[in-house]
Amino acid sequence: MKKNLFAILSLLVLASVLLSACGANAPATPVEKKKVVIFVGMGTGTDPDQVDAQNKLAEKFNSTHDNIEIEFLIVPHEEYATRYLAMLSGGNAPQLVGPNGISTVAEFFDTWEDITPYIKADNYDLSDFYGPAVELNQYPQKNTGLPLGLYPSYIYYNKDLFDAAGVDYPTHDFNDKSWTMDKLREMAMKLTLDKNSKNATDPAFDPNNITQYGYDDSWDTMRGVLSTWGAENVGRPTTSDYKTAIANSPEWVQGLQWRSDAIWKDHFMGGTEVQAGRDAAGVDPFGPGTTAMFYSHTWFLAEGLHDLSFSADIAPFPYNPKGERIARIDADNFTIPKDAKNKQEAWEVMKWLTSPDIIVEVCRIYGCIPARKSVQDKFLEQLKADYPGIDYDVIFKSIDYLDNPNNEAWIPEWGKIEDTLNNGLSLVDSGKEKDATKVLNDANTEVQQILNEYWAKHQ
Amino acid sequence: MQTTRTHPRLSLSKREALWAYIFISPWLIGFIIFTVGPMLASLYFSFTDYDIVSSPRWVGLSNYINLVHDQLFWHALGITFKFALVALPLNLVISYLIAVLLNQNIAGRNLWRTVYFLPSVIAGVAVALLWVRIFDPKFGILNPFLEKLGIQGPGWLSDPHWALSALVIMSLWSVGGNIILYLAGLQGVPTDLYDAAKVDGATTWQRFWHVTLPMTTPVIFFNLVLGMIATFQYFTEVYVITNGTGNPARSTLFYNLYLYQNAFRYFHMGYASTMAWVLFIIVLGFTLLIFRSSDAWVFYEGQLRGR
Repeated sequence: MKKNLFAILSLLVLASVLLSACGANAPATPVEKKKVVIFVGMGTGTDPDQVDAQNKLAEKFNSTHDNIEIEFLIVPHEEYATRYLAMLSGGNAPQLVGPNGISTVAEFFDTWEDITPYIKADNYDLSDFYGPAVELNQYPQKNTGLPLGLYPSYIYYNKDLFDAAGVDYPTHDFNDKSWTMDKLREMAMKLTLDKNSKNATDPAFDPNNITQYGYDDSWDTMRGVLSTWGAENVGRPTTSDYKTAIANSPEWVQGLQWRSDAIWKDHFMGGTEVQAGRDAAGVDPFGPGTTAMFYSHTWFLAEGLHDLSFSADIAPFPYNPKGERIARIDADNFTIPKDAKNKQEAWEVMKWLTSPDIIVEVCRIYGCIPARKSVQDKFLEQLKADYPGIDYDVIFKSIDYLDNPNNEAWIPEWGKIEDTLNNGLSLVDSGKEKDATKVLNDANTEVQQILNEYWAKHQ
Repeated sequence: MQTTRTHPRLSLSKREALWAYIFISPWLIGFIIFTVGPMLASLYFSFTDYDIVSSPRWVGLSNYINLVHDQLFWHALGITFKFALVALPLNLVISYLIAVLLNQNIAGRNLWRTVYFLPSVIAGVAVALLWVRIFDPKFGILNPFLEKLGIQGPGWLSDPHWALSALVIMSLWSVGGNIILYLAGLQGVPTDLYDAAKVDGATTWQRFWHVTLPMTTPVIFFNLVLGMIATFQYFTEVYVITNGTGNPARSTLFYNLYLYQNAFRYFHMGYASTMAWVLFIIVLGFTLLIFRSSDAWVFYEGQLRGR
């Protein structure tokens, strides 16, 4: 009897424990969140304040999503290639990579997932993105990612130097066809001064003792520098089938000769020595106030338009000799490595990062113009608060003149061809070779050889 | 009650050998995993087309044949040879001369030794950044100094004609390591040899030429071999200074930089592995050559020389 009573009591206790475990107040079995690691370091995103902002963004996402957990993996920029490749080859690919410039997308082109099936599966609406922003991610082989931000380019100019030289500011009128590369050259020479304050148009000008330059475009690659000159494939050194090198097109030769003359004949732009001096001093071309005009992108706003000791504004890039305006553009996106796990979740995070509600916040971290038209006004307010007194129209209108095919876009053997072309730029900038025709003919031969080798392997 | 041994007791020599292997096993395991393994893997990759992302594809000797036709390979090899031909002897001679001076009975000798050795303990990246500032034509300290001597200094790192020379000058920064070894060698020269030379009426120069120099040839030999290997592996400084480009105008495209570009920028890992093995063979060849030549110029005290 005692035994039975004990057994009954035991069963009752066990049952009550089980029932209480299944009760309404018991914590629900946690759903395992799928991890999305976002690899940051290909471009911007590694500064301490950006790291903090990204961590807050992760908290925001993680607190509002039950099934996905995101984590930003910050990698020093100088290690991005080795770290990313090590992760890939170790079978530990991150789920998202970014923000990527067009160049880093090109650099690791074969590693990205094509997001076209994801767009189709969700019937995802791309109409709110700026049209060109979508095109920049679209290649014949794949769509690399949803657009995040754009960085159009224009001329930053130092108003004080223009005033002191008695030269009119560059026009802000996008329809003014008199604003050409010749006009820019003429203006830049008047704004270039030697230590005796003679300008570069003066026969007594001393080119060995220049204290102020009229113009600078030293922060870009050969393709970037020449993409504005109106060649058949704009910023691409090959034909559209990527099989024939056309790096020595008449337009590119003209553009490179213009640059060579700007440095070595007209002296309104500094060569390698001047550029290296700035790098050694840790200054940009515009900030010290010794360059009247600097051609750069929107990302330079955050980098170089703070605490200036002079007043500055921005103007559209001039028309090229063919009467076209081409203003090169940079762009950012996030990409999914094709070997990553949790790719569907990565796609969800990509959509979230580029969604109208979040994209402004994300672009504020990275300094880009949001690629969505619907948030332009919201972003403009922010821009006005951060950079008062500049012509914001120039920023947004410049998007319409972007270089397409883009100067950073993928081509076969992207890195090798980039290095070959940039060697040509280095020859000109260092003064080792001042004849653009020779430089580009040699470069073209080398590029063709690289293409031939590539296509021999990829028939 | 005694237990029965199932295995015969090891002999003393075998036990010693076993313990020796046990003691060196951490290093041995590390060597096999982190050195021999990657070396064998790179040997295999050198016969493949491998882009890191896809699986390696066997291509036989193609990479080796392509290397012969690659103009940049020869260019990079030429740059490295040029650098080695100037920087290596300069380093050996200057460090030797400084060591001889520091071996004299001068005031503050230990302080001087420390001062000369200190730079060589600074990491290559920091040294490179420091020299970028020194060489800067406008903000650096070298050109203003030359200007005081009436010399117009060049754009050291921006002029393709001068960039390699600048790196040679920079390489002298690290002579401290050689100096320490030379000092050890110089202090090991028996004083009775100098006494005997003095008794024979030898001048200072004769004592140096006929006693000091021959007696320190083993250290010179050691520094020559290590210096030659290090020179052919020159990478960090030029990578930092040129941001990995080898510019201006490819004037600093060293062999290892080109190898790195192939591996991590162009993703030609198979080709880069081929380059690594070719470099290995070149360095091995020179090392063997130096070893073979050592019979003619390296003197080991106590060595029975059959001449």
